[in-house]
Amino acid sequence: MSKTTVILKREFRSYFLSPIAYVVGGLFLAIGGWFYFSRVFFDFGAGAEARMDGFFNLLPLFFLVLVPALSMRLWAEEKKLGTFELLLTFPVRSRDLILGKFLGGLLFVVVLLAFTLPYPMTLAAYGKLDWGPVIGGYLGGILLAASYLSLGLFISSLTRDQIIALLLSVASLLILVLLPQFGAAMSPSLAEAFKLLSPVEHFRSIARGVLDLRDLIFYFVFCGLFLYLNALVLEFKKRNG
Amino acid sequence: MIQVENLVKHYGSFVALKGISFEVPSGQVLGFLGPNGAGKSTTMKILTGYLYPSSGHVKVDGIDVQEDPLSVRKKVGYLPETNPLYMDMRVDDYLRFVGSIRGLRGKALSQGIQRVVEVCGLARVYRKEIRELSKGYRQRVGLAQAMIHDPEILVLDEPTSGLDPNQIVEIRELIRNLGTDRTVLLSTHYLQEVEATCDRILIIAQGKIVADGTARSLTSTLPPGPLTVEIKGPKDKVETQLKELFPPETGVQVQFLGEDPPGEVCFRVGTSPESDEHVREAIFDLVSRNGWKLLEMHRPPATLEQVFRKLTLDPIEEPLVAKELSMGGSHV
Ligand SMILES: Nc1ncnc2c1ncn2[C@@H]1O[C@H](COP(=O)(O)OP(=O)(O)O)[C@@H](O)[C@H]1O
Ligand SMILES: [Mg+2]
Repeated sequence: MSKTTVILKREFRSYFLSPIAYVVGGLFLAIGGWFYFSRVFFDFGAGAEARMDGFFNLLPLFFLVLVPALSMRLWAEEKKLGTFELLLTFPVRSRDLILGKFLGGLLFVVVLLAFTLPYPMTLAAYGKLDWGPVIGGYLGGILLAASYLSLGLFISSLTRDQIIALLLSVASLLILVLLPQFGAAMSPSLAEAFKLLSPVEHFRSIARGVLDLRDLIFYFVFCGLFLYLNALVLEFKKRNG
Repeated sequence: MIQVENLVKHYGSFVALKGISFEVPSGQVLGFLGPNGAGKSTTMKILTGYLYPSSGHVKVDGIDVQEDPLSVRKKVGYLPETNPLYMDMRVDDYLRFVGSIRGLRGKALSQGIQRVVEVCGLARVYRKEIRELSKGYRQRVGLAQAMIHDPEILVLDEPTSGLDPNQIVEIRELIRNLGTDRTVLLSTHYLQEVEATCDRILIIAQGKIVADGTARSLTSTLPPGPLTVEIKGPKDKVETQLKELFPPETGVQVQFLGEDPPGEVCFRVGTSPESDEHVREAIFDLVSRNGWKLLEMHRPPATLEQVFRKLTLDPIEEPLVAKELSMGGSHV
């Protein structure tokens, strides 16, 4: 078991020790389910083809709150408890710590998403379901969550206060999500450029069921950047106390 | 062996360490003594690789902490000043986590846990959530965490702060036992603690080492305390005769302390170390000449507390030390 895995396991398990994860996860499943089922009945009523658009369209919005609620504690809580000093004096590289935390949070999101798998399965049982966009939606959802999480984890490393981490993360993600709209208000070329930077746009592209390498690269670079910034924060703290 | 060479640490414009150098041979229990803010924790944080020094080096067995932090951290067990506990974890889960991240697997892990549970007396709370534990037990869990990998070096930052007297005694006992077969660096501002547990004392003040030695060698640098004499005899007579024997111009101060039980009078006699021999003999002669009884003649050595105060108080406050000592009677 690598050091990263040890951290990953602790982070993942610790979500089940705190009420926040249950509340947030429960709300996600409840609201998601409600939206989803209301759409199902609506679509069935109209005799339309079974789809999960309703659910996946809302995912960027759900994650806007859900992911920061999961990422806020990742570093801030360690600082509050004093375990930050413990982690950083273990014989473990900073990047393994960061990666373990990132993957532990991501695993929790993946599990939450897995709990929604009954939705498409019931759809497939009752009607004709195009699996392409569904698989794309789940894959894109995981990548979207990963990008949000890398940002939230970075912000959590800046403070010892979880609430501040939550607020700052939600605000930064909101700006990121609304970036294309800001761009559109200024100039069409800026709108295109900002679309390229928006995790939501790349999610929509994957969720259409088309896997484009450029979308994958975007998420890879985005996560890599914020995980790297996180490492810089840790290095800065060592230097300056 | 730990070598600390000329450590300097800046926090912004504030200089917390102003060039600290010392060596700790293997197996020594070294006490870091100093007032709050002296730089004890900062030194320990640099030693464990949590902070980088602004300049200077720390080497453990010849390995520079900054060049190869992971190798050094493997050798070191560390209990930071804020006990680093995950409150919502159970003791066993916590120890398993620390053991695993320290690289223990399978049998080595369960043996490591078993050993620290035994040494630190955690069997009773092994399956409890850490948040439920008393402060003393939490401190033991923190210690257990630091030694789960059986490290050569233990760095303990104020391991007994905030504990009640019974818990303090227990933790000190534990540390003394731990120190028999490994190097221990311990910081504290309790003076009895270093006297009780350490082979050697470093006193640090305002980012500098101001004293280095055994408790004995440090206290012998200060003159001993005042002579206390207890005499069985009539109070008034004893007092007048003593004052006659040592009139003010001799520089010897006689201070009446009390009479308890009636007929036993106690005096404190302030002397300078040079005149000491002569004063004791004179008192003895006086007592025997009058047929009184000399119950006690006692002169305590300087305490570590006096050494500590003398070395660590601001220069501005230095007169306070002198006043304090003269109240104790040794100042003539
Ligand atoms: N992270 C920090 N930022 C700024 N100043 C600090 C920091 N940590 C400690 N200090 C200052 O450095 C000095 C030494 O602190 P410390 O090493 O904790 O002392 P000690 O452990 O001996 O009480 C203190 O004056 C403290 O206020
Ligand atoms: Mg301290």
